[in-house]
Amino acid sequence: MQKRRKFDKTAFVFIAPAFIFFTLFIIVPTVSSAYYSFTSWDGVSPNVKFIGLANYKEIFTSARFGNALKNTIILTVFISIFENAFALALALIVDNVRWGKNFFRSAFYVPVLVSGIVSGFIWKIMYNYNFGTINTILKDIGMGDFRQDWLGNNKLTLLMIGVVLVWKGAGYYMIIYLASLQSVSPDLIEAAQIDGASPWQRFKSITVPLISGAFTINFTLSLINGLKVFDQINVMTDGGPGFTSETLVYLLYKVGFNEGRQGFGTAVGIMLLFIIIILNTLQQKFLRSREVQM
Amino acid sequence: MRKKLLASVLVAAMAATMLAGCGSTDDNTTGSTAPAASTTESAAVTTVAAEAESIVSAPTELTFIFADGDEGAKASMNEIVNRFNAAYPDITVTIEPGNGGAYSEFIKTKDSVGEFPDVMEMRDTAMYVRAGKLEPLSEEITSLFRTTTEFNGQVYTAPLSGENTQGIIYNKKYFDDNGLTEPTTYEEFMTLCQTIKDKGDMAPIVVGGQDIWHMGFLFHKAYNDQVLSKDSDFIEHCYDGTKDFSDETMKATFQELKDIFQYAQDGWTSTPDAQITTFLVNDMAAMMYSGTHMFSQIDAADPDFEYGWFAIPSPDGKTRLVGGAGVGGLAISAEAAKDPDKKAAAEAFIKFFFAPENYKVYCETLNFIPTTVDEPQMDVSPVFQEVIDANASADDLAPMWNGRVGNNELPPDFRNFTYKTLTEVLQGTRDIDSACDELNKTWQVSIQSFNPVTGVGIE
Repeated sequence: MQKRRKFDKTAFVFIAPAFIFFTLFIIVPTVSSAYYSFTSWDGVSPNVKFIGLANYKEIFTSARFGNALKNTIILTVFISIFENAFALALALIVDNVRWGKNFFRSAFYVPVLVSGIVSGFIWKIMYNYNFGTINTILKDIGMGDFRQDWLGNNKLTLLMIGVVLVWKGAGYYMIIYLASLQSVSPDLIEAAQIDGASPWQRFKSITVPLISGAFTINFTLSLINGLKVFDQINVMTDGGPGFTSETLVYLLYKVGFNEGRQGFGTAVGIMLLFIIIILNTLQQKFLRSREVQM
Repeated sequence: MRKKLLASVLVAAMAATMLAGCGSTDDNTTGSTAPAASTTESAAVTTVAAEAESIVSAPTELTFIFADGDEGAKASMNEIVNRFNAAYPDITVTIEPGNGGAYSEFIKTKDSVGEFPDVMEMRDTAMYVRAGKLEPLSEEITSLFRTTTEFNGQVYTAPLSGENTQGIIYNKKYFDDNGLTEPTTYEEFMTLCQTIKDKGDMAPIVVGGQDIWHMGFLFHKAYNDQVLSKDSDFIEHCYDGTKDFSDETMKATFQELKDIFQYAQDGWTSTPDAQITTFLVNDMAAMMYSGTHMFSQIDAADPDFEYGWFAIPSPDGKTRLVGGAGVGGLAISAEAAKDPDKKAAAEAFIKFFFAPENYKVYCETLNFIPTTVDEPQMDVSPVFQEVIDANASADDLAPMWNGRVGNNELPPDFRNFTYKTLTEVLQGTRDIDSACDELNKTWQVSIQSFNPVTGVGIE
């Protein structure tokens, strides 16, 4: 017979504050959001009218939601790939430089410290068609024909936002890759070197499998961050031009807070929650299976 | 020892800096220690104040929020609040930051967190009236205005200004140097744009299309020309199902905008409204289409810049302008009004605000057309006087299409959707028929939760 575990008062005292805050600020709002998603509440009125599945029905038939979902997926895939590739490259540079290791590590990390709003403003100025740094430089070096309306051209907008997100986020993932790279035993690398493995073979067959845990963490984080992108879009494009850069979180915000449709906005939020859970579960399953246990 | 001394000095310096920061005059905050207004006028008001009988039974504090995105609005509101605080020693009006551009969302957030202000600049009046958040204004206040907007026989807002009349603000020197004149017909206006485009030295019109609300200026102009001129109750008819957005007049609206936007500057979709003044004063664009609030911004950007103003005539030869009192204005919170002292203080503040000598500060600074019966004697520029005269002689004067109430009030999400769809049409990613279809689809969804004709979402 299994012995019943004794109630540990000390553990309870330590857990309680976090549990209470988590319940109050995460669980309760999530559950109440689920309720509001079945209403037509405008966010102001004390009258909350229950409308059943109407908001969800609209979600599945709305071109705007479909467009926001498509944009979210494009951005998420883009930043998941490029943020990680860029971060890994930076980590390898920092790990291998002979001098200035601390300088490079700090320099690459600086964009992470800049808030999303501030980075959005900085890049918005750089991207500006008439006064922006990029177009000015292109003009000054005689490449004026390559000037683009970086944020106004609907074929480029998402890509340009993606570039900002990669620039801002890569430093964070670099630190995780770097920690993982530094935990790879030099003995293994040295042994492979003696056996005649080329640098690429050493990287592919020894380093990558041994840092796969970092891949799992970073891809998970970049996936979630990609699905939650808001700051830069709010500052740089306001979801435009037209609906070109409207993502799910931005749609949620616009309809909920700007257009007085809190009920529909929360329904979008609930959908986003499910999308994150599903994608994250699939990703975890895939990446965990590739991790190498030391 | 030296280290300790240095540390002490640094700590003291840091503390002094922080205290100085706390004590600095924030344009946005007027606390109980608000300095008395510096003008002679306000000194006179202060004297009156000292003698005035108190209208509250105990010291009363009022929170006040307005859309402070514009520097002129910020400066003039601060001045009037300072005057009021000096005039009414028992009442303290405290300005809270209004979050500039995203004002509607900000007020909604303040309401959600239980910090709805006592007195505020209200824009989404209909929504807040329906939610029971606003106090009806007394006859004593409403009688101050030439026109007000009623909801079921009650007035909830004291109109801050006449609707922001829009028109073309142009580079006068450029026009004079090139022998260009103000057009008197729509065709002349289009020819003028083409002439400037052909010259190639600057864009004919600058548009701040990155700010979605800015798109509303030209949209309303075309919508007014094509739709409202033929059916002023078009929206009501869309609600009752007798019309929809595939109407020929709506298609003509999109076409008129396509015609005009071919003269907008390169990169108009990514140009914010805040940048259009730069285009005008730096000879990058010959004209802008905006409201009279731009006059002060142009003056601030380049005091020597000479500009003129004209209304774009409608294709049918008439002059249709945005004007008259709108639905927005100063409002009192219903919650605050439950406290008799706060209600009395709030009403006193609104009356004080619209007293000619105070209201003059607001209208002059922002180049707004007064709404009061007892109009302030304004010292306005000749250009602004032209706008006032144009208001008086216009064939039609109406609020913006999204500022109407009753059966012509738009569903909350429809204005922005329209502007975004318009942007797609103007960028060529959507044709006019498809845009009309999209508007119809969204309209059908919107009216399921908001339809003043059937009463859905109104109760």
